[in-house]
Amino acid sequence: MKILVCVGNVPDTTTKVRFAEKNTKFDTNGVQWVINPWDELALTRALELKEDSSNPVVHVTVATVGRAGAEPTMRKALAIGADDAIRIDTDPEDSSFVAYQLAEVIKNEDYQLVLCGIESSDYNGAAVGGMLSEYLDLPSVSAVTGMTFEGADIILSREIDGGIEEVSLPAPFVAVVQKGIAKEPRIPAMRGIMMARKKPLKVVEVAEAETLTNMTEFEMPKPKPPCKMIEAENVAELVDLLQNEAKVL
Amino acid sequence: MIKQLLFAGALLLTLGVMFYTLKRLIKIFSLTKKGFPINNIGKRIGITLRVAMGQTKIMRKPVIGLMHALVFWGFCVILIGSVEMLIDGLAGTERILGFLGVVYDIIFGSGDVFAFLILIFIAAFIFRRVFMRISRFQGIEMKHKSHVDANVALSLIFLLMLTLLGMNIFYVQHTIINGHSVTGVYPVSSIIADWLPEMSISTLSNLHEINWWVHILLIFFFANYLPYSKHFHVFLSVPNVFLSRLEPLGKLDNMDHVTREVKMMLDPNASFDDSPDEDIQRFGVLDCEDVSWKNYFDSLACTQCGRCTEVCPANQTGKMLSPRKIMMDLRERMDEKSKGLLLDGTDYSDGKSLIKDYISAEEIWACTTCNACAQECPININHPSLIVDMRRYIVMEESGAPAELNSIFTNIENNGAPWQFSQEDRMLWNDDAEVPVLADLFNQDKRPEFLLWIGSSGAFDDRYKKVTRAFIKVLNHLKIDYAVLGTEESSSGDVARRGGNEMLFQMQAMMNIELFNGYEVKKILTCDPHAYNTFKNEYPVLGGEYEVIHHSQFLSKLISEEGLDLSNKSFDGKTITFHDPCYLGRGNGEYQAPRQVINNMGATFTEMKRNKSFALCCGAGGAQMFKEAEKGDREVFMARTEEALETGADIIATACPYCMVMITDGLKYSNKETEVKNYDLAELVADSLDI
Repeated sequence: MKILVCVGNVPDTTTKVRFAEKNTKFDTNGVQWVINPWDELALTRALELKEDSSNPVVHVTVATVGRAGAEPTMRKALAIGADDAIRIDTDPEDSSFVAYQLAEVIKNEDYQLVLCGIESSDYNGAAVGGMLSEYLDLPSVSAVTGMTFEGADIILSREIDGGIEEVSLPAPFVAVVQKGIAKEPRIPAMRGIMMARKKPLKVVEVAEAETLTNMTEFEMPKPKPPCKMIEAENVAELVDLLQNEAKVL
Repeated sequence: MIKQLLFAGALLLTLGVMFYTLKRLIKIFSLTKKGFPINNIGKRIGITLRVAMGQTKIMRKPVIGLMHALVFWGFCVILIGSVEMLIDGLAGTERILGFLGVVYDIIFGSGDVFAFLILIFIAAFIFRRVFMRISRFQGIEMKHKSHVDANVALSLIFLLMLTLLGMNIFYVQHTIINGHSVTGVYPVSSIIADWLPEMSISTLSNLHEINWWVHILLIFFFANYLPYSKHFHVFLSVPNVFLSRLEPLGKLDNMDHVTREVKMMLDPNASFDDSPDEDIQRFGVLDCEDVSWKNYFDSLACTQCGRCTEVCPANQTGKMLSPRKIMMDLRERMDEKSKGLLLDGTDYSDGKSLIKDYISAEEIWACTTCNACAQECPININHPSLIVDMRRYIVMEESGAPAELNSIFTNIENNGAPWQFSQEDRMLWNDDAEVPVLADLFNQDKRPEFLLWIGSSGAFDDRYKKVTRAFIKVLNHLKIDYAVLGTEESSSGDVARRGGNEMLFQMQAMMNIELFNGYEVKKILTCDPHAYNTFKNEYPVLGGEYEVIHHSQFLSKLISEEGLDLSNKSFDGKTITFHDPCYLGRGNGEYQAPRQVINNMGATFTEMKRNKSFALCCGAGGAQMFKEAEKGDREVFMARTEEALETGADIIATACPYCMVMITDGLKYSNKETEVKNYDLAELVADSLDI
């Protein structure tokens, strides 16, 4: 069984977000790029499944939609343990566009399992997974927090209100995974980094597709006003500030 | 003549067995990895004279140390007598070195006294081991076998001394009755000989002969027993000291094959196909064949005295780690696996390994790399470097670091600090002080004298930011020509290296070196002993050679050379104690500078019970700061804070960001934070200067 893990290339969480072109574009200057944390967990789980020889998983591929700038992230995924990588050579425009590009690649290969993180930490669209299963005409299960094999069956668990739901379905399908799918993201070992250099990273031409959305404007959250410290004894001042300045009393 | 033949036969047999043992050992050593080269012979002779011949380190425990030293020196003198016995035995002569006259008298006279002293001391040692419960001799690694081994070796020495004295006593008596003159002087034996009941000449002669033979045969047996006992120490401790690692204790060795990889990673022009074969040996130490020859030598020379374990902060607080066990495990594992390795080659596997089957991850991750064990070891065994080598295996081959460390590795890689703070926020510690930034000065063609390294704690830790601000005030007040890197600063890599992530360390180091060299940095000043240690000791081999100065040294120099005076009234009537940071003290031998600074302040200075090279770690080094402590019965920082509180000092001074965090927590948990304050040297100096 071959697993495909869709991997997003996102800015590191400590990035200072700035916008360019009249607030219609994210300014990528000086940004440190990392694997989308949800995808990192999906990849970790896929590798765990592969390493346990009682499972039928034999191969893990990672795929991304991105320009050459995304290659370090793909190499990192290979270093963590993926067997090969595919990069669809275009900018990830919007969810539908990205899902379409991934579907075009997946269609021609025989992946029985496709894993997507539920969202990406940059735009948090949470749409690619579902759209991808539509384009592929495959069933999908969302918010998966556990995945195990029981014989030939794949058991998926999902956290639902007040409990855990377990579902089983035959491959192929798309699993959209939530945090919890793996305990901790795996970090690459030195040996993995060395081997990653020689693993195949295939670059695929972009497929003809439309973007369904247009970015009109980004807006930064208003900066928080500075925190005011009040002496512990000074209750009157606190009440006064809460009443007259914060107007919450 | 028959006697000579018998003797020659016994000697040949002894030498034969010794030769077999030696051959086997050489083969085992051929399985180990290359270590440091043996150069700097002059320095090595100096260390041997001081530590081995002078017994300086064992005398860190004065009473028992002096007893051991006397036994050692006694052995050295008595050895000359044994050589004489060899010659006598082969040549059929008696006391052939007698022609040395006065020299002979001195050597054999002192040998006679030493034999008596050793006899008493060995009896005391046996008594201690058998009847007194010395905690140092206990521990999970001290099995029945170890105790038996110790007692056998001690008993053998006891018998050796008994027969030596017997030999001397009967020789003296026999010679006097015969009317001959005694060769040599035997102060103790002569007295005992006087007490002997009257015996015939032949009885005396026989008794002398018996003692002589038993003594030399015991020596022959002893020589061949030792290599298979923990008392191999008797042969190997002096060479082990001569072969000591000469580097400062704080320094960890560079992994050159990682350097090659990292250089390739950082070089944008390197092609992926240029990489050398994947057939690189294992990263770090998994099993006995991965250790260096010196690690194995250490393990053979170790006599299981347990001084290392006794001073280990992890062990003292109930954690699994015992540095002695690491050495014993290595020796035992090599005993077990070397046969197979020698027969079947390096691919041999018995399904076991040093890590996991002998040494658990819990032990390996409990080390604070404080170097108390290495400092204490009387024969300069280095345990922390081996422990870090095992971490290197776990991290680089298996990505198996504790989860908290994996996330700080990721943070360092992504945002250049162990915590998730943006590099752009690295100057937020500054309120309103004027802080020159290196890039600005460089663009104005200025080259400030010092680069001030703030460090991640200095930039992001709320408590330590105050120290940074205080030190900036001091520098500005004294009009020092310095600059900071500002938002260009990143992690020094110290935590990554001690956490076993050699690759990440080297990436950080090489990026920093490129930055420093680009700005033509010559001198680096820092409040952080960890950054200080890594810049000073570990960056040079990667191409970064700078004069690195810890702020305690900088301030102390200002006092002694520039007449800086801190003795205003700020600390009148206050008592200050100082907690030695491991990486300043044991790591780099700097104990005086911080004390000189404090002593200049007009306060009363008081030492903790364990200070300077004896100081207990705060518990945060070796990447412990960023992970949960391993299971134990208490926290290291609580133990150290208690020791500080015992002094009754008003202020506990520190000079390290980690120590600051730990002691502050210790005061908080002891409910002493209002009575006793914890300040960094920089803060005390700023107060003294009233700025």
